[in-house]
Amino acid sequence: MSVLVKEPEAIMQSVQGFSEDTVRAHSAARNEPAWMLEFRLDAWRQFETMPWPSANDEAWRRTRLTGFDIANFKPLAVSSGTVEKAELSRLLQEEINEMDSAASMVFEDSSLRYSVFHAKLSECGVIFADLQSAVREHPDLVQKYFMTKAVKPGLNKFTALHAALWDTGTFVYVPAKARVTLPLQVILNQVSDGVGGYHHTLVVTEEGAEVTVVDDLLGAKDGMQASVVELVIGNSSVVRYMNLQDFDHSAWNFLTGRAVLGRDADLRWIQVSWGSRLTKAFLDVDLQGTGGHAELLGIYFPIGHQHIDHQTLQIHRAPHCFSDLLFNGALKDKSRSVYMGVIQVFPGAQKTDAYQRNGNLILDATARADSIPGLEIQADDVRCTHAATAAQVEEEYVFYLMARGLSRAQAERMIVQGFFQAVLDRVPVESVVHKLERVIERKIGG
Amino acid sequence: MSVLEIRNLHATVEDREILKGVNLTLRSGEIHALMGPNGSGKSTLAYVIAGHPHYEITDGDILIDGESILEMEPDERTKAGVFLAFQYPVAVPGVSVANFLRTAVSNVRGYTTRPVEAEGRSGVIGSNLMPMREFRRELTDKMKEFNVDPSFARRYLNDGFSGGEKKRTEVLQMAMLEPKFGILDESDSGLDIDALRVVSDGINKLATPDRGFLLITHYQRILNYVKPNYVSIFYGGRVVMTGGPEVAHMLEEKGYGWVEREFGEAVAA
Ligand SMILES: Nc1ncnc2c1ncn2[C@@H]1O[C@H](COP(=O)(O)OP(=O)(O)O)[C@@H](O)[C@H]1O
Ligand SMILES: [Mg+2]
Repeated sequence: MSVLVKEPEAIMQSVQGFSEDTVRAHSAARNEPAWMLEFRLDAWRQFETMPWPSANDEAWRRTRLTGFDIANFKPLAVSSGTVEKAELSRLLQEEINEMDSAASMVFEDSSLRYSVFHAKLSECGVIFADLQSAVREHPDLVQKYFMTKAVKPGLNKFTALHAALWDTGTFVYVPAKARVTLPLQVILNQVSDGVGGYHHTLVVTEEGAEVTVVDDLLGAKDGMQASVVELVIGNSSVVRYMNLQDFDHSAWNFLTGRAVLGRDADLRWIQVSWGSRLTKAFLDVDLQGTGGHAELLGIYFPIGHQHIDHQTLQIHRAPHCFSDLLFNGALKDKSRSVYMGVIQVFPGAQKTDAYQRNGNLILDATARADSIPGLEIQADDVRCTHAATAAQVEEEYVFYLMARGLSRAQAERMIVQGFFQAVLDRVPVESVVHKLERVIERKIGG
Repeated sequence: MSVLEIRNLHATVEDREILKGVNLTLRSGEIHALMGPNGSGKSTLAYVIAGHPHYEITDGDILIDGESILEMEPDERTKAGVFLAFQYPVAVPGVSVANFLRTAVSNVRGYTTRPVEAEGRSGVIGSNLMPMREFRRELTDKMKEFNVDPSFARRYLNDGFSGGEKKRTEVLQMAMLEPKFGILDESDSGLDIDALRVVSDGINKLATPDRGFLLITHYQRILNYVKPNYVSIFYGGRVVMTGGPEVAHMLEEKGYGWVEREFGEAVAA
């Protein structure tokens, strides 16, 4: 490890701008095997040939990248080595202390900063590692699953960039029948201003395995984050995944996530989008085996000039699968949200049961929410429903609560909190629920 | 001893006059039944007393102990001692009975306006609410006393409640808020005989000498369980007749058709 501390710094300090040389230097600084360098270079070439999103792309019609120029960012943050828990910021220490977790990892800027594990995890054959180490220590598994099954590099411009430059990341592997009851906690704090970050989450579970993973994403002032989440869920495996994005309101955030579910697999994905100046998130659940069950639940609460865009895909390839999507957002000030969702049912995916709901609570007339649901159904024996709503705080609710002695402000606060409750009720980690409630409280207040 | 006085009250909704000169006085310790046909304006009167913003008062006044409450917001009226049990309580998604009721009780009992305590524990969320344990204990006791299943504390307000459950929860809320005046808008409607008995028992328990009730109803049925001191007939947006319990019996006998024949012209004029 000691070889790695000084040298990469020297290498990375010399990096200028986004280029193939930067990709090579990044890989060299991390002592990566040749296959990973090749993988990165191949992705870089794809990135170079792909055009930037334009208003002609349906996916980007309502989310323009006005003011975004990749040349404005340093391509990578310089990594700074690991520290003891006490040396972490108060905020990060609290985050770690508040959650009753099986293990935690903290990333700051481009590398692992701190980690703590329960020995029992590895006894059960569970891998919970930073991706950089996993590339060296579990090359077969990483090579098999990393951006091969769920999110391929060429999916979009930002996944290609991510594949070429990924820096921090988590590799979770849960072998057959292993059950991790407490959550695995990952915190990414992009500390340096104005840099690009490329956080990766790769979760692989084998048959019957169970795991809960929480990603906490912070910082990224004046920066960019192009993250990828891959959940490869084995037959009859149960996965709970939470992506809690609370970036600085100056950050550009691009997330591409996809879960691939085997037979009778069970997923609940909680997507929280609090921060960033702009978020474009592509979130897919891909039901590949019979009897799969997927829940995709999201909350967002843009304020000021924030722009939050979620684009989801519920892919039913196999029969007898269930998917339930619920995205609820409140909007204040001049903020804007976009929700686009498609339920896709392949021929032969009979007995599909799919729901999609997007609710928007408009707290100021200057805020705007667009909701574009869609169905693409190629099977005849299916049940699919979708609904989108945009409404203001219901005056009859306010009156009822005021008639019980609540002030108008208290009544409205409670109604907004209540609006998020349908999702909060399904968040499986209590400390996460409390944290989300606090953020909602703060966002309502000011 | 308090008095709620409604004087020559006129109210319109969307430029249509619904209340056309209501006069009614309710004192602590009294149960005053207000009976009238559908559409006569009973709920409008209840809403106007509670301060619903949809209605415009064009004339008259509502006073508690001689002070007008017309300029008060609904929550101020509640703090002044008015409680409205809704005919159709709305379901508020995601807001649990216990959660909102703790804030309500804390406001009405003045916890939230005690500056010293708020200062002493500054920064702690909920520090100026009624202490959790104390609130829980009282709520649990009252749920038992008023026949509301304990599970309702965590359920969302009226969300998926049956008609009877809604009305019982309204009575429970009244028991927690301890008003001076309860305006009960058809707390009996849509109830089967068992639920009616539970709701009536609740009202009777709360009918103490320091509290007055305006018992709005369409039917005479609830008056078999809750005994009124006065019965008024409400028709065409005003009180057309007031008397003792015998008025209810007469109405039972003659029906609302009689009211229409008797008072229809007077009201239309
Ligand atoms: N919010 C409202 N908007 C429009 N019309 C109303 C409203 N509230 C009451 N009304 C009208 O006022 C009249 C009296 O209604 P209501 O007070 O509900 O009578 P009751 O409770 O005696 O059945 C009805 O004709 C009703 O349609
Ligand atoms: Mg009515």
